[in-house]
Amino acid sequence: MIKFILNGKEVETVAPATVRLIDLLRDDFQLIGPKEGCGDGECGTCSVLVNQLVQNSCLIPIGAIEGAEIITIDGYCNTEQFQLLSECYSEAGAVQCGYCIPGMIMASEALLSQNPHPTEEEIREGISGNLCRCTGYNMIVDAIDLAAKKGDGLW
Amino acid sequence: MVTKAIASYRMKSLDETLSQLSKEDCQLIAGGTDLMVQRKSPRGAPGRFDKPVVFIDHLKELKQIYRVNQDIHIGACCTYSEMMEHHLIPNILKKAMKEIAAPAIRNRGTIGGNICNASPAGDTLPLLYIFNAKIRLRSAKGERAAEIRDFIQGPRKVDRLKDELVTEIILPEVPEVQPYFVFEKVANRRADAITKISFAGSMRWDEGRIQDARLAFGAVGPTIVRAADIEQKLVGQAFPLNDKVIDGIVAEFESLLKPIDDHRSTGVYRKTVALNLLRHFLEVRA
Ligand SMILES: Cc1cc2nc3c(=O)[nH]c(=O)nc-3n(C[C@H](O)[C@H](O)[C@H](O)COP(=O)(O)OP(=O)(O)OC[C@H]3O[C@@H](n4cnc5c(N)ncnc54)[C@H](O)[C@@H]3O)c2cc1C
Ligand code: FES
Ligand code: FES
Repeated sequence: MIKFILNGKEVETVAPATVRLIDLLRDDFQLIGPKEGCGDGECGTCSVLVNQLVQNSCLIPIGAIEGAEIITIDGYCNTEQFQLLSECYSEAGAVQCGYCIPGMIMASEALLSQNPHPTEEEIREGISGNLCRCTGYNMIVDAIDLAAKKGDGLW
Repeated sequence: MVTKAIASYRMKSLDETLSQLSKEDCQLIAGGTDLMVQRKSPRGAPGRFDKPVVFIDHLKELKQIYRVNQDIHIGACCTYSEMMEHHLIPNILKKAMKEIAAPAIRNRGTIGGNICNASPAGDTLPLLYIFNAKIRLRSAKGERAAEIRDFIQGPRKVDRLKDELVTEIILPEVPEVQPYFVFEKVANRRADAITKISFAGSMRWDEGRIQDARLAFGAVGPTIVRAADIEQKLVGQAFPLNDKVIDGIVAEFESLLKPIDDHRSTGVYRKTVALNLLRHFLEVRA
């Protein structure tokens, strides 16, 4: 039995330890915010926070997260920080098809919580593990920059 | 599909982990960033592991970074992010780690995993060869240390017994003042890209003479390439190096390096770039 904290609640599972976290989240917990793009750690749309650090849930065997605190977009969307990021993403026109966005938002949160006033270079580095096939990234960079400015003190 | 579940262990301490390894042949999982790709199953099914798995990346004993005299000890399960934030890690290694993957992978991938996966494209390896890193292994029976160049034998092949675990990487005698260092990684893009060719070099000179020179190439053969005999020819040469000496060293590596074609690059490209990086490094003036 593996126990961990999922979006603030203690949960447990009897699934085998080498099942991927992405599958456990989507299939067993019905949290379909994190998407599976590549399944190889390369696209970032499966990103979640593990003990506040952004990680790819497609690479995590669930046996490794015993006791950890996992936050997915489904839980994060109830926060003030999410509200602001969401507004800034729409203001900057940073969302087109939306497939990359759950991961982009988690990467944005991870970046801003460590570095509330990132430079453009640091923003690009922060989302460098997240692929977007629609926007060309510039609008996403603008959105994060806008959130950092408007959210002064929030992170 | 019914898959027979394999046993899995996540022990509280290193000693309990070693005792488990002494009982049966197990698959160690650190960050899993190499293994979970290599052993990927169809969605929802457990990974394709054929022996019991043992998780180790939570073990505190494997996460320490400390110094003993001039030696820097790095716990095998330190992640890239942890090392990049630590004051004892040499800057040149931090620079190489910054070029590995992207933040999400750097928050999971470990130095022990990079070494034990033993890919010739592993990005910590050229520098670890240059630091003459030692690999410290432990089993329930005892402890030993191996030179990295002996420990790594080929892609995914290391000199590890089934009951052993890599506990630490030791960088011996790291001087306070670092020599002139470069690390260059050539890949398709800046993030999440596997190395086509990499080069690390270090050189120390004093009063116009080379005291020490070390050169290492990644992804040009089954293991990292370093050649002590060629390096030795640089020692005692006047600094800055003259064109004749540089041409000579480049020619030596031209016959030594035999990179192959694969899906990431061609042998010809790899060799040309490797020799250009070498030449550029040797041309340093100050
Ligand atoms: C998208 C992506 C991008 C990547 N980019 C790069 C890159 O730019 N550069 C690069 O070098 N690598 C890269 N990698 C590869 C990988 O992230 C690294 O090699 C990482 O350091 C592996 O560490 P891990 O802890 O995740 O290893 P794991 O997958 O847990 O283990 C790898 C192997 O090492 C063994 N092992 C691990 N720890 C120990 C130990 N303490 N004792 C004995 N055996 C052990 C395991 O049993 C396994 O055989 C990338 C991977 C992905 C998915
Ligand atoms: S699905 Fe995990 S990184 Fe692409
Ligand atoms: S908005 Fe479509 S992939 Fe990013």
